[in-house]
Amino acid sequence: MNLRVETRQPREGIAVISLAGEVDVYTSPRVKQEIVNLLNSDVTRMVVDLTGVEYLDSTGLGVLIGGLKRARERDGDLKLICDNVRILRIFEITGLTKIFDIYRSETEALEKL
Amino acid sequence: MSETKPLAEVELNIPSRPEYVGVARLAILGVASRMRFSYDEVEDIRLAVGEACTRSIDRLNGGQSADGHTIRLRCLIDSNRLTIEVRNPLVKAGPRPEPVPDVSGLPPENDLSGVLIRILMDEVDSEEREAEGVQILRMVKYVAR
Repeated sequence: MNLRVETRQPREGIAVISLAGEVDVYTSPRVKQEIVNLLNSDVTRMVVDLTGVEYLDSTGLGVLIGGLKRARERDGDLKLICDNVRILRIFEITGLTKIFDIYRSETEALEKL
Repeated sequence: MSETKPLAEVELNIPSRPEYVGVARLAILGVASRMRFSYDEVEDIRLAVGEACTRSIDRLNGGQSADGHTIRLRCLIDSNRLTIEVRNPLVKAGPRPEPVPDVSGLPPENDLSGVLIRILMDEVDSEEREAEGVQILRMVKYVAR
């Protein structure tokens, strides 16, 4: 599978999910499951690090929107890290830069979470 | 859209399963890279084809790995444009579940592929040929002069 998913919890109640590779119709269910597992274990504030993502399609965007929705329902939040111009462009053309807070570094994202 | 005989034609059939969408993306990357598209345009075409295949899979089997449907990708290469047809068997969709009322103010989770295809490609149209039992999504990208 062309996606690596690594999760760690730098502080209690906060998780950083690092993705590397391709997030598409085949691989995005893994990301969704990871987010759901965290929410079910009361981790409601999370950062998804897209720095290593080379490809992101609408199913990947859908999983992130769903994660944000479910996190907010539990008074949490989901923020993104991304510095890849191609991936940022997908957020821009779909209008999702108005929905997501996107940061360049983990330090910055965790500060604002 | 493509009124004259194309300079070249490339076809690929993939099973309607999520793990094969990446194969279609790789194939179109190879085709588009041989034309005079910029790097960004090649990436746009690759994403649009991935989205089109994903839509076909969603229509055919609700996004689940299953059954023996085939998605046919047909690339018509001209000097000034690339026309891509994504063709799948016409399957009458069953009733979709009633959408759950959403008060989050966030966009729907599964409604972005059509938006992306229309933004990324220069021309997009779709047709259902009931007599042939096929559904075709046709996309065109023009080479910038």
